[in-house]
Amino acid sequence: MNIQLYNITKRFGDVTANDGISLDIRAGEVVALLGENGAGKSTLMKMLFGLYPPDGGAILINDRETTIESPQKAMSLGIGMVFQQFNLVPALSVLDNLLLAYPKSPFWTFRRLFRTSPRKAVLTYLQELAPGLAPDTLVRDLSVGQRQLLELVKVLNLDAKVLILDEPTSVLPPQEAERLWGLIRKLAEAGRSVVLITHKMQDVMACAHRVVVMRAGRMVQTLDRKQCTESSLVSLMMGDSNQRSAIEVTPREAFANRPPRISIRDLHARHGAQSVENIRLDIAPGEILGVAGVSGNGQHLLADALVGLTPLARGEVIIDGYLLQSASRPPSTSGRVSYIPEQPAVNAVAADLSLTTNVALSHFRHLSFFPAWAPEEQLTRNIIQRYQVRPDNPALAAGQLSGGNLQKLVVGRELEGDKDLIVAAYPTMGLDAGAAHDIYQALFAKANEGAAVLWISEDLDDLMSYAHRIAVLQGGRISGIFDPRECDRLDIGRAMTGEHQPARTQRPPEQKPADPRVRAAS
Amino acid sequence: MEYFATELLTLLFAALRSATPVLAVVLGEAMTQRSGVINLGVEGQMLLGAMTGFAVASVTGDPWLGVMAACFAGIALSMVHAILVLGCGANQIASGVAVLILGGGLSAYYGTPFVGDKIDTLGNLNHTFVSDIPLLGQFLGPITPTVLITLLAIPAISIFLFRTRTGLRWRSTGESQDITRNLGHNPVHYQLAAIAFGGLMSGFAGAALAVDYTANWVEGMTAGRGLVAVGLVIVARWNPWYALPAALLFGASEALNLKLQSWGVNISPYLLATLPYMIPLSVLMLSYRGLRASGGGMPAGLSVVFQSAR
Repeated sequence: MNIQLYNITKRFGDVTANDGISLDIRAGEVVALLGENGAGKSTLMKMLFGLYPPDGGAILINDRETTIESPQKAMSLGIGMVFQQFNLVPALSVLDNLLLAYPKSPFWTFRRLFRTSPRKAVLTYLQELAPGLAPDTLVRDLSVGQRQLLELVKVLNLDAKVLILDEPTSVLPPQEAERLWGLIRKLAEAGRSVVLITHKMQDVMACAHRVVVMRAGRMVQTLDRKQCTESSLVSLMMGDSNQRSAIEVTPREAFANRPPRISIRDLHARHGAQSVENIRLDIAPGEILGVAGVSGNGQHLLADALVGLTPLARGEVIIDGYLLQSASRPPSTSGRVSYIPEQPAVNAVAADLSLTTNVALSHFRHLSFFPAWAPEEQLTRNIIQRYQVRPDNPALAAGQLSGGNLQKLVVGRELEGDKDLIVAAYPTMGLDAGAAHDIYQALFAKANEGAAVLWISEDLDDLMSYAHRIAVLQGGRISGIFDPRECDRLDIGRAMTGEHQPARTQRPPEQKPADPRVRAAS
Repeated sequence: MEYFATELLTLLFAALRSATPVLAVVLGEAMTQRSGVINLGVEGQMLLGAMTGFAVASVTGDPWLGVMAACFAGIALSMVHAILVLGCGANQIASGVAVLILGGGLSAYYGTPFVGDKIDTLGNLNHTFVSDIPLLGQFLGPITPTVLITLLAIPAISIFLFRTRTGLRWRSTGESQDITRNLGHNPVHYQLAAIAFGGLMSGFAGAALAVDYTANWVEGMTAGRGLVAVGLVIVARWNPWYALPAALLFGASEALNLKLQSWGVNISPYLLATLPYMIPLSVLMLSYRGLRASGGGMPAGLSVVFQSAR
């Protein structure tokens, strides 16, 4: 099946998300759509999948113009898409999830019917892609990589000839990403076409046949992968924004021999089914400690426990020799500690209150009984200007701003003033490259002024370029602490999936052979 | 020894008979909640079902017609909840309480003329083949048709829920409406069916109480059984098989209450009458600790309504 997108244009209000894009997708080929966040890659593919109608241009399938008005239509044409957010029901089994999405699923879902009857077609692709995965396993017990595989099986079950994968490797530890690349190559060899939406060079270099570079809603260039190098792609992707000022990180000598500003001693905390155990970390003033890990391994709880939103079950947190949190007393927040929580638009603002009020709330203990609003409004204006929050009216209710803009506002608010500890959870998630750059600059400037920074991120590349040390959380424990100058992505990846023994030393121990069970299961 | 065994078996079968209305409501409400909707109005639906069933049985003289009318009355009242929740997007708790009060009021108003009427009952297994069964025959005799129907509903419901395509979509609706919609199924269809089924079962439960168990109609005669059933759904972990022991908990404590009173235990009968509510409540509180850690099989879609305060 050959698909041609011809001169596709899409506008959202004043923003042109796609501007006259033409693209060929041929059978047996892997096309990488490369671009930064907000470049319009996902929008383009969502139009092909029938989620948005294009404002202009045409989609040709096997040289016939076709209107794709709904995802159902797209699927009936053989176009399938795997989103970043999985459509899986965690409480149901693998088989149940496959049956839910199967177009002609049988009325009786007795398990034994699948062994004998032709209905076992539901399981064919699963057995091919993940032979070790038992169909009765509950999805909530699967790793992220296995869930993604399951999504892929669902799409293949629809008899999809064109597979669109939206940032598939962003949630995967490095070794699982490698497995996925292999799978993508295999699917292409079997005659399917794969469109890979990505902002990562490794994805492109590993498995793409052709690279389409997009920037700010336009197609910059289409290249054969063999013709291009990583650096040429980076400059195409970034364009003139490549000349952004460099992000400055505190030099290591500045804190090399200084006592730690933050000491986390033997911290245990528990919330519902989540727990963190035995966390011991020291962070020097000016040091940026990155925290890596597959999401849901205790990052959220660790951050909440540090800043005083969750009680500690054991242990203590010491800041400059003073007890900040301890298991023996109720948790408390402190003006010296900043917290940028994940999803700030939900967790860090009151949607019905104005931007000014939201900024003032961060230091409400120091407001007078009748607050003086003029300085608060001035402060809000400064943050709005510095971080380019849009719309720039401090009197607007927070709920009227988009998530990305609220995120910038929250970062600005939390980095205001003198801080000893900054806990930042995914501060740049979902932002375009320019905004992310500004946030990193501001965050690391605070470290330079002497704050200890605990920075939780899922972007290994960013962690490796800016953090002084990277601690990996796995199952609520620290499974390794790495020096980014002396380790590679796979070392960290092994710690993320627990294939690596906990180490106190900077260097990971000798690489041990991978557990064959883990390999077989995924 | 023989006396003790006889007493125990009598108590058990008395518990089963007394538990039947509650069991039917637990089954219906568990199915409703499996689709992600909670209906507190089951108590009102039960009352309206009891009144309608008794009235129809009294007027027509046919108790089976009464049972059927009760089922329809339960469905009709549950549709008020469906319209408010699914149609108008009303808060589920508020809408459920409204249905509860509406059912109580309607049944009291229209039921007044029938208070004290005599009706034919559905009969029981006495003088059928079971009387010939040695030893157990005397206990099986008082079992009535509604008990059997409710017991048969357990395997029927679990086969539907766990072994069919529709049941699978029903469960996935309760887990996440968004995901179900993304997979191309309309969650509202399943929730509508789920509310109607809950209405049917609570109407039937009303009939089991008024037409079968007591053969009597008194205003407010359900005495909180519907609300207890909503709590027992949690004890039953939304599983039709566990609904039986959960409902027996209520039935057994009620039978025990009567037994203790007949033995002349020196405790105020008012206090004793709280037993059927205190015991399930205690079990609910005890099992809830364990439930919280594991999630307890609660449909994820309910978490919005059910979230604990801390």
